[in-house]
Amino acid sequence: MTFLAPGFLWGAILVAAGIVALHFIVTRQPRASVLPTARFVPDSAATAIVRDARPSDLLLMLLRVLVVVAAGAALAKPVIRPNRQADMRILLMDVSRSIANVTETADSVKKLYRPGDAMIVFDSSVRSLGARGFDSLGAIRRSDARGNLSAGLIASLREGSIARDRADSFELVIVSPFAEEERDAATDSIRKLWPGRARLVRVTARGDSTAVSGGALEIRSSSDDPLAVAVSLASRQQPRVGTRIVRSAMITADDTAWASSNGHVLVIWPSDSRPLFAVPHVPVDQSGGILSGDARVIAAFDRRWMFPSDSLRTGRIVARWADGEPAAIEKRVRQGCIRSVAIPVAAVGDLVIRPEFIALVREIAAPCGEPRSTTPVASAVIASLGGRGRLAPGDAFAARQDIALPLAHWLFGIALAAALAELLVRRIAPTSGRRSAIATRVTSGAIS
Amino acid sequence: MARSWFTGRHDESVAGDSNVLNESYDEYAALLDAVRGIRWPARSAVRGGIPGAHSSRLRGISAEFTEYRPYRQGDDTRRIDWKLFARSDRAYIRLSNDRAILPTMIVVDASASMAFPVATNAKWKLAAQLGVGLGAVARNSGDPVGLVVTRGNDPLLLSPRMRRSVTYEIIRAVSSIEPSGTAPLSPSLSIAAQSGGRLVIVTDFLGDAADLLATASRWVAAGREVHAIHVVAREELNPSRESAMVADPEAAEIRRPMIGEARDGYLEAFGRWRDELAHDWSDAGISYTMAVTGEETPDHLIRRIAAVRSGAAIA
Repeated sequence: MTFLAPGFLWGAILVAAGIVALHFIVTRQPRASVLPTARFVPDSAATAIVRDARPSDLLLMLLRVLVVVAAGAALAKPVIRPNRQADMRILLMDVSRSIANVTETADSVKKLYRPGDAMIVFDSSVRSLGARGFDSLGAIRRSDARGNLSAGLIASLREGSIARDRADSFELVIVSPFAEEERDAATDSIRKLWPGRARLVRVTARGDSTAVSGGALEIRSSSDDPLAVAVSLASRQQPRVGTRIVRSAMITADDTAWASSNGHVLVIWPSDSRPLFAVPHVPVDQSGGILSGDARVIAAFDRRWMFPSDSLRTGRIVARWADGEPAAIEKRVRQGCIRSVAIPVAAVGDLVIRPEFIALVREIAAPCGEPRSTTPVASAVIASLGGRGRLAPGDAFAARQDIALPLAHWLFGIALAAALAELLVRRIAPTSGRRSAIATRVTSGAIS
Repeated sequence: MARSWFTGRHDESVAGDSNVLNESYDEYAALLDAVRGIRWPARSAVRGGIPGAHSSRLRGISAEFTEYRPYRQGDDTRRIDWKLFARSDRAYIRLSNDRAILPTMIVVDASASMAFPVATNAKWKLAAQLGVGLGAVARNSGDPVGLVVTRGNDPLLLSPRMRRSVTYEIIRAVSSIEPSGTAPLSPSLSIAAQSGGRLVIVTDFLGDAADLLATASRWVAAGREVHAIHVVAREELNPSRESAMVADPEAAEIRRPMIGEARDGYLEAFGRWRDELAHDWSDAGISYTMAVTGEETPDHLIRRIAAVRSGAAIA
């Protein structure tokens, strides 16, 4: 066991020593006796500081020492130092949609796992499996969420801080297909925070089933609709799936049937009526921009419609206003999807022919679901993720300040119980010890 | 003040278990043997009265001739020495020294301060031995002896008696008493003075010392012979050097620490008080004797007290 803040413990020991000393050196009345000629003794204070051979009020002294030492030890943050091993692995297991077979991934992890190693699984979120992680490997299923290597690396750093006292060095093992979509701009920076090399175990990536080509982008609108121009420009790059943009809130059964097959995308983008799933935005305000995927449009848009929160329950946000509010949402319809867009298109100006607006149209007309890319990251990125040098030393990880301190809680409880007991003992015997006996004998005049 | 007349056979309060009394007699037997031959003459001529061992201020008709005095009108004609009248034709009266008894009353202080040290009661035991011994000496001198013991609110009074058993009655009386209370001594002295020509006060003077001196002085002026025996415990003269909170058994409010220099202050104050006490009582014409427990045997003390002829104090 060690203490994270030993100063409190030393201070408590000093205070306890003072308490013990005070119980030996007490200000009290000396031994009482009868003397008929007491009137000739000069009158002075009826108490004296005397040093006793044994402590007075032994029980109270012990309780007070216990209160101080227990409280001091609790404040000193005691932690039980586990048995230290030479090296330890932190296994980062990818269970995102990027992996082809979770069993293959689990087998790779099992081969590398040793008792005492830490195991973390990640997709878009992260969870640590703890000491029983090995047993639960068989129950792990592949997630439909996009993998996030950055989140996994951060979790590894956190695990390293937690386990820094359990091993001299740490090896980071990442079991993943290392798809491009799992990497983001922060991944390299976060990887550099790991103070050592990492072992990369590449597993089979999942094939891109959505990569369907040969679709057409069409729009059903009036002849003077400015959006038609943008759609026309966007359709120069052949879309991967069939996409139909309807400039009316009224959709037909044929539209719905079409949208529910072959991954078709039905975009309902009314020119002036209320979009599907939307409610009026009161009052109407303006937003300075729209963001959708990689497309960013900076312009003044009248925001007349908004998507209430319940409309997002089973949907996905396709585009957002500059303040984060949804500007377009998507609902799955069997194999396809329906998208409702609340972005007004101005009839004047050059907005519709600007490249960023055309990119926005392409994003809105993109295939259903999250954009997915199982393309492996470049070899340079792989090398960067692997790193060089030796294993990460335990001391390189920052000590956690939020480590759970169960011992401290127990010690605080003991201190509190001892304080209550001290109060009780003091109330039961307010003049305990020899002093009270003396006082009693003086009162009765029976002292020899 | 309530009185309880001690009669020995009838006073249940002092007639304790016979075994206890026998032990008490045994305790005092050595003392009585030691004082058997001591005589306690009066310090001055006593008033006339019942013939006794002390010289009387009266000239009487005893066989011990002293002088002749011319007859004066009013003298008893039976005291005229007719043979001398026949030879000288002058009427003379034959005078002789008269002798009288001196009733002795012993006043013993049985207040709480006399029960010290608590473990031994040495002060009270010495006071009791002095009372018994002096009573025996007075009785051996042919004087009636009485006893007053001041105890609480009920003083014990034993009227002067000449009978031989009076000594044992005194023993029974003091043996039945445990010192306690804070009763003043001067009222007891006044009671004793009404029937005694010689008053012996055995006390530690830690009660009503001033009143007692005033009362004793009045009775000295009235012709009584007063002896004051100051009983002091050795522990009072030389208290322990160990720090202690000392308490007065007769005054609960007096509780003072005997610590360090306080002991020196105590010794100085106590010594000064004793000197002033001896001086004041001697000045009043009273025989003052200080009796320290454990320093002098009671019979030796009694010899010294009985040998006093003047009003000098005995340290």
